[in-house]
Amino acid sequence: MSQLQARFFTDNKKYVIDDVPFSIPAVSEITDLSNVINKLLEGKNGDHKHVEFDFLVQGQFLRSSLATHLETENISTEEVVEIEYVEKYTAPQPEECIMHDDWISSVEADSEWILTGSYDKTARIWSLEGKAVATVAGHTDVVKGVAWVKRDGLSSLLLTASLDQTVLLWEWSSERNKLRARHCCRGHAGSVDTISVDPTRSKFCSGSWDKMLKIWSADYSRSEESNRPRKKQKTEQLGPTRTPLMTLSGHTEAVSSVLWMDTEELCSASWDHTIRLWDAETGSQKNMLTGSKVFNCISYSPLCHRLATGSTDRHVRLWDPRSKDGSLVLLSLTSHTGWVTAVRWSPSHEQQLISGSLDNLVKLWDTRSCKAPLYDLAAHEDKVLCADWTDCGLILSGGADNKLYTYRYSACLSDAGA
Amino acid sequence: MPFRPAFSRCFSWDIRNTVGNIPMEWYKDYPHIGYDLDGKKIFKPIRNKDELDEFLDKMENPDYWRTIHDKMTGTDVCLSDEQVDLVHRLQQGKFGDVNFNEYEPAIDFFSNEVMIHPVTNRPADKRSFIPSLIEKEKVGKLVHAIKMGWIKPRRPKETAPQYYDLWAKEDPNAILGRHKMHIPAPKMRLPGHEESYNPPPEYLLTDEERQVWEQQDPDERKLSFLPQKYLSLRAVPAFSRFIQERFERCLDLYLCPRQRKMRVNVNPEDLIPKLPRPRDLQPFPTLQSLVYHGHSSLIRSISISPSGQWLVSGSDDCTVRFWEVCTTRCLKTMEVGGPVKSVAWNPAPSISLVAVSYGENVILVNPGLGDRLICSATDQLISSYEEPEEVKDQQVQWAVPEGKAQEQGQRLILTHPKAVKQVSWHGRGDYLACVMPDDGSSLQVVIHQVSRRRTQNPFHRNKGAVQCVSFHPSRPYFLVATQRYVRVYNLIKQELTKKLMANCKWISSMAVHPGGDNVICGSYDCRLAWFDLDLSTKPYKVLRHHKKALRGVAYHKHYPLFASGSDDGTVIVCHGMVYNDLLQNPLIVPVKVLKGHIITHDLGVLDVAFHPTQPWVFSSGADGTVRLFT
Repeated sequence: MSQLQARFFTDNKKYVIDDVPFSIPAVSEITDLSNVINKLLEGKNGDHKHVEFDFLVQGQFLRSSLATHLETENISTEEVVEIEYVEKYTAPQPEECIMHDDWISSVEADSEWILTGSYDKTARIWSLEGKAVATVAGHTDVVKGVAWVKRDGLSSLLLTASLDQTVLLWEWSSERNKLRARHCCRGHAGSVDTISVDPTRSKFCSGSWDKMLKIWSADYSRSEESNRPRKKQKTEQLGPTRTPLMTLSGHTEAVSSVLWMDTEELCSASWDHTIRLWDAETGSQKNMLTGSKVFNCISYSPLCHRLATGSTDRHVRLWDPRSKDGSLVLLSLTSHTGWVTAVRWSPSHEQQLISGSLDNLVKLWDTRSCKAPLYDLAAHEDKVLCADWTDCGLILSGGADNKLYTYRYSACLSDAGA
Repeated sequence: MPFRPAFSRCFSWDIRNTVGNIPMEWYKDYPHIGYDLDGKKIFKPIRNKDELDEFLDKMENPDYWRTIHDKMTGTDVCLSDEQVDLVHRLQQGKFGDVNFNEYEPAIDFFSNEVMIHPVTNRPADKRSFIPSLIEKEKVGKLVHAIKMGWIKPRRPKETAPQYYDLWAKEDPNAILGRHKMHIPAPKMRLPGHEESYNPPPEYLLTDEERQVWEQQDPDERKLSFLPQKYLSLRAVPAFSRFIQERFERCLDLYLCPRQRKMRVNVNPEDLIPKLPRPRDLQPFPTLQSLVYHGHSSLIRSISISPSGQWLVSGSDDCTVRFWEVCTTRCLKTMEVGGPVKSVAWNPAPSISLVAVSYGENVILVNPGLGDRLICSATDQLISSYEEPEEVKDQQVQWAVPEGKAQEQGQRLILTHPKAVKQVSWHGRGDYLACVMPDDGSSLQVVIHQVSRRRTQNPFHRNKGAVQCVSFHPSRPYFLVATQRYVRVYNLIKQELTKKLMANCKWISSMAVHPGGDNVICGSYDCRLAWFDLDLSTKPYKVLRHHKKALRGVAYHKHYPLFASGSDDGTVIVCHGMVYNDLLQNPLIVPVKVLKGHIITHDLGVLDVAFHPTQPWVFSSGADGTVRLFT
């Protein structure tokens, strides 16, 4: 088999070529195919500039030579092979490297500010350019989770969860750069490892080592404070204590990650090898997915309705949360060599996600290529502990080398036509 | 034999020696040789014939050949012609008399012919005419015997040849066996090109090769003949070695050994016991996942918090470190006054205490990790102690640390009279056993009660040096391992319940199954012994998988797993399923060898511990790291 018949097609109107089968060498790789397409486009319109393409055969990215790919995927070479081509995603561009004093345990960024939690018992606010803006100090132990709640103009609400079993609700005004702890959420009997704010920005959920999930109110109004006697305000430096609205118990081991799938549905991953879906209104368990390893992290994409999990093995697994029959792994993305500690779906692309691992790598994946990632982001010198992907295309990752790296990734822009 | 001189021609007188037939040597020394008929001595002839005379006589005397020396008379006798002739005849076996004809025609005197002149003329006897009475009697007897059927007529002889089956008595299976055992004669090699009458030239020997061939011993030759080239088949002469070659072939067949060697046909696979595949026994730790760096010297002991979130390690660099399990973060480092021999996290989930032994001291540390409520409750529990009114003299000093040590979390310091090697908590978390190995001493094991700050020595005397101790997880038993034995004591009845013989030289470590009926012991002579307490006092199974001394063994709390760490730098994880059914023996399958630790100063893995909830195993090594395998 030296030559095979292939028909190329694309959804991108810019790069459409004639719909005729071509005979191409079976050993050709991506660059060869890319050159073929470029040649064809040049013949079609003279002012074509060279563009790198990526190729999909039956929905799978081509990563080896065409012949070996067809052989492993068990696709017949007798018929005309349909090959889709898309413009190659450009590599994420490294932007900033933000130094911290200690390990970075968690990160969350929105369109303006980056919030990181660190093992030096503080959380920090940074501008997107990497300028230190504020330090959130108040916890008596390692900060394990951070989250932005909402922003009203110049004042924002943010949350920090810590090993000291509390979640603190802070108010931060970016204009005066003043930080005040507004509430101290007590109730957990173990380190609070994860927090997640619901889509309506009025509630948040925390997961803890004590196997519990607790839902708290994220509301903050000034009127509440004025009712309190002045003396008590002084004693409570961290604001009045807030008690949980609801406690969800069911996990038999520590909860490692929690998220809201929509306003009524909660999802939590735990060390007891299960993912549980909860009804946030009633507090009842709706569904359970059982894995075989401890789950470290979980992420949900509303675009493709899939859950991605990272566990204490080398794989990133994709799950369908709506499947009723329990545990069915849709796909395993395998390339890491250490525990996967962070996983995050792209907010804008339904097939892309990033994962961070203890093997010091952050990988950018496309679900159409489950054996090899699109890109390895090998900047970290130590374990990657957290990662985030903002709506505006910024990838962030922090780890045990005290550095927070940011990358600009523009797949969403060039891929718009695809 | 005396010679008769009757026919003597040479002697004129008759001398008769009367001595008889005796050896004449008897008269060798006498002058006479015997006596004559008249009783007079016969004297030896006076002469001295020497060799020369004899020779001359032989040469000159023509009658020498017929001269005989007569010993009886000592004289030489010359034989006459008749005498010589007689000697010749006798030598030929003929009659002595020349005139005797032994072949004279015989005359048949007693013949059947009636002669006119018979030899005897006697008339014939009467009995010649009458029948014999004896014969009649004899015939009568035979007739009677025939009538009675005692004698049967002779059967007619069967003239047809008789055959019989040589193998009739052989049983059919033997026949089959004989057929099975058939060994065909070795096949002859087929002729090759060199045997051809017109071989290709490369098969023909050169002169040098031919010389070599001729000098070689026939047995050593590669070819038994010389390849030769002939113009045509007609020119080929007869094969001169044909008979010899056939003979050699016959010898080959005849001398070839025809005995079949009986080999035991046992498939080696069948000898291996049937064990389930390790793949089916998941989960168990398979990969090294995390490495906890920080210690600068070898780590003697590790312990996991009951929640599984924290890990404590004690090292020879005089520090105790507290780690976060899932991130390898060292959260706390505490310096103590000596190399740490043993650390043990209190197994009770409601108490947050860690026992650390260094030198002669054991300190109880509240690490301040985990639930704040539990930490403060533990502090309260310790500080709420009230001095009893009567203070008993104790061998162990209880002291409350102050200042920096208190801030670090140290809550109690217990000073022992001897160096403490191991600490072990009771499952409830109130009792703490300490081992001070000292051969033969009565104070080797002490049990502390933390809440009442009391110390007791449970044994009046100890046999041998105690290596390690352990509380039974469910019953009031206390296990004490000395160098060779494990003794199980009942603490309530205060008696020895069982004595387990480990069959090894020196026990290094011991672990009790959470079910309570099984114990494993690691020893310095590379063995791991599994005891079933219900079964026997001898090991149910001994595993010799490690190449060097074992340093630590551990059971998992929930999963059917146990692990052993050794000086060869490996941790071996085994599946050890214990069944509730008393009839079913535990199933022990080695499932994984975990490597990772670097061997430093000939020491590899020093301690192993399982995570309380996950199938993960921690190991601490001489290279100053703790490693987590998942």
